[in-house]
Amino acid sequence: MTDKNETVIALLGQPNSGKSTLFNALTGLRQHVGNWPGKTVEKKEGTFTHNGVDYLVADLPGTYSLSANSDEEMITRDYIASGKADVVCILADSSQLERSLYMLADFAGIEVPCFLILNMCDVSKDQGKEIDVKSMQDKLGIPVILFSAPDVKNYDVFYKALETALENKTTLDATDLERRYAELYEYSAIRNTLGDLKDGYRTSAWLSAKAMEGDAPVIANIKGKLGGSNLSEFENVIKNIERGVLKTGETKFAWIDDLISGSVTKETKARELGKFDRLITHRFWGKAVVVITILLGLLASFIPALPFMGIGQGIASCANPLNDALTGVGCPGFIAAILTDVIIRSLSFVIQMIGFVFGVTLVFGLLEEIGVMARISYVFDNTMGRLGLQGKSVMPFLISFGCTMGGAAGTRVIDNWGQKVLTIALSWAIPCGAAWAVIPMLSTIFFGAWTPVIITAILIVMIIHMWITAKVFGKALVKPSDRCGMIMELPPYHKPKWGSLLRYVLGRTKETFIRSSKVVLLVAFVFWLLSYSKTGDASSTALFKFGQTIEPFTLFFGMKWQTFVAFIASSLGKEGSLGVLSTIYTGAGSLSVGALVDGGAAENINELLLANITKPEALAFIFAITFNMPCIVALAATYQETHSVKWTSIIGTYYTLTALVLAGIAYHIGLLIW
Amino acid sequence: MKRLTEMKAGEEGVIISINGDNRYVGRITSIGITPGCRIRIVKNDKNRPVIVFTRDTMIALNSKESMNIEVEEAKR
Repeated sequence: MTDKNETVIALLGQPNSGKSTLFNALTGLRQHVGNWPGKTVEKKEGTFTHNGVDYLVADLPGTYSLSANSDEEMITRDYIASGKADVVCILADSSQLERSLYMLADFAGIEVPCFLILNMCDVSKDQGKEIDVKSMQDKLGIPVILFSAPDVKNYDVFYKALETALENKTTLDATDLERRYAELYEYSAIRNTLGDLKDGYRTSAWLSAKAMEGDAPVIANIKGKLGGSNLSEFENVIKNIERGVLKTGETKFAWIDDLISGSVTKETKARELGKFDRLITHRFWGKAVVVITILLGLLASFIPALPFMGIGQGIASCANPLNDALTGVGCPGFIAAILTDVIIRSLSFVIQMIGFVFGVTLVFGLLEEIGVMARISYVFDNTMGRLGLQGKSVMPFLISFGCTMGGAAGTRVIDNWGQKVLTIALSWAIPCGAAWAVIPMLSTIFFGAWTPVIITAILIVMIIHMWITAKVFGKALVKPSDRCGMIMELPPYHKPKWGSLLRYVLGRTKETFIRSSKVVLLVAFVFWLLSYSKTGDASSTALFKFGQTIEPFTLFFGMKWQTFVAFIASSLGKEGSLGVLSTIYTGAGSLSVGALVDGGAAENINELLLANITKPEALAFIFAITFNMPCIVALAATYQETHSVKWTSIIGTYYTLTALVLAGIAYHIGLLIW
Repeated sequence: MKRLTEMKAGEEGVIISINGDNRYVGRITSIGITPGCRIRIVKNDKNRPVIVFTRDTMIALNSKESMNIEVEEAKR
């Protein structure tokens, strides 16, 4: 029960057990995504009402067991053992019943009301498997149902099982499993020293089995509670156990075999790799197929994005007429400017960005759901493993060549929070579409035929940058314990569950819209204040004065105050830097947030630049804006995906500083050449 | 008896032993690979994880860590 009088349901299941589908179907848009307090693990909660009862659903992290090998597992089992949940809903995949019931076996011995869902009953039916739910229910003493999570019309069985479990407080009968454990010599020895020791909802049998598995938190817990001869005896037994989990694991599977032997008619065949699988996992072609798949996905995600982009641009085009109209009716210029230049422009960026987030979340969510992402992970495991990442990280990286914000949205398929943040941090180093629009043009103006060399240098620096950044942030974000080799299921391809997927995507898009709007409005407002001048003359703005004041410092990085102000502006949007330079060098026009992001350079920009900037300075400037923060919306998307103000600011500051350092290096190399 | 990594695609066997630290053994057990279970190699390419099929599930395993798994080959 929460303090809002909601009944708490915890969803417990292995990855690919259909947990998210159930969660989305139950809670729809009433979801909240955050982080577990003090932990780098995503926390998902949602609410729904059924038969007049309010429920809070906690979607626990998908893990394979309840051991203590990762933060995810610790959070999952601490949550369950804390008794915060009124009922635990355990999911198993009925098409891989034996293996996925391991979670149930690992749960046995925790005395919290629960019920069991055998999900994906449509798939197991196709396999020709017949499951006798009644007999399993009798053996386990809890409600057991056959279920298909995407089939939202048939949720009555779910609600019925839920209500029965709550009403009768049905706890899992673990006596048979305990009898089997007792045949293990080490288990019995531990169990004897424990006596009647319990820990909250966890029985001494559960504690003994975990102690035998070498579970450090459980062992420490027991040691704290035992005294005298029992303690020394316990320590003695524990010391001599090696790889106890192999024996308890075998016992758990033997119990599962017995549980389903009378209940399941099994006729499954061994699975082979299909045609597409053979292609995508191919030794030589695999990587190419993955890259092509992702690029096609990227193209496809533009289709749902286009309407949003149209709307966003439509809103932006209202800004100027509205400004004129407002000043026409005597509205003070200050207020008209905030309204049009800050609020409407910001809204326009965010809506355009939302379209892309929507497209990327939909298309790559779909690829994840049908099972393609797992194959991508397999193909790129070795390469990405060197950066401390999962194979899946290759997808956000490729998207980032187009748009960093899309890349950030794409990281949602990475199930480890630290690896997700690290992937975003590295993807910032990849020059985005806007950089590709500006950089070749700038280098052609200054370096002519040498442009390909400059581009190559940028790509090389990008790779080194990513490698160094992985080292810098890797330690804090990806613990050594998460840097273990791949043990991953390659699920069979699933039909997409459109309803559940769309609900998820809409929920995510809504949340991104709200959070990003806040960030973009705030940054746009601050920038607007800095670049505001009463007379409309840009040279009297705070931004210009600031640039001029710290020029002695920025000169070291090869930037005069003009290019430095343009560098700062490029944090909002790279195209904007040219607009700023032309404003400064022509001495005409004023700065506005809109002009900064939309670009709009003077016609004679080439001559202006050549007349005012030397070659080494140009080189410094090119590196500075390429490796600066990608743009204001990328910053907002980073905040949305990481849920962390701390990490968003760390990454933002790091990129501003490294861009300056890279500019400095480029400048001094440039001085040697020219 | 062979290491899992020495087996070729299509070969079958029964797992005899799993070595490695507690954490590794725990992870591999919870995904369903235990001594005594029957296993078939689906794919085993150089520099790629090994793909095996066991308990109705296709699983990709890091090849370096899979050196820890010993398999008794089944006669075909």
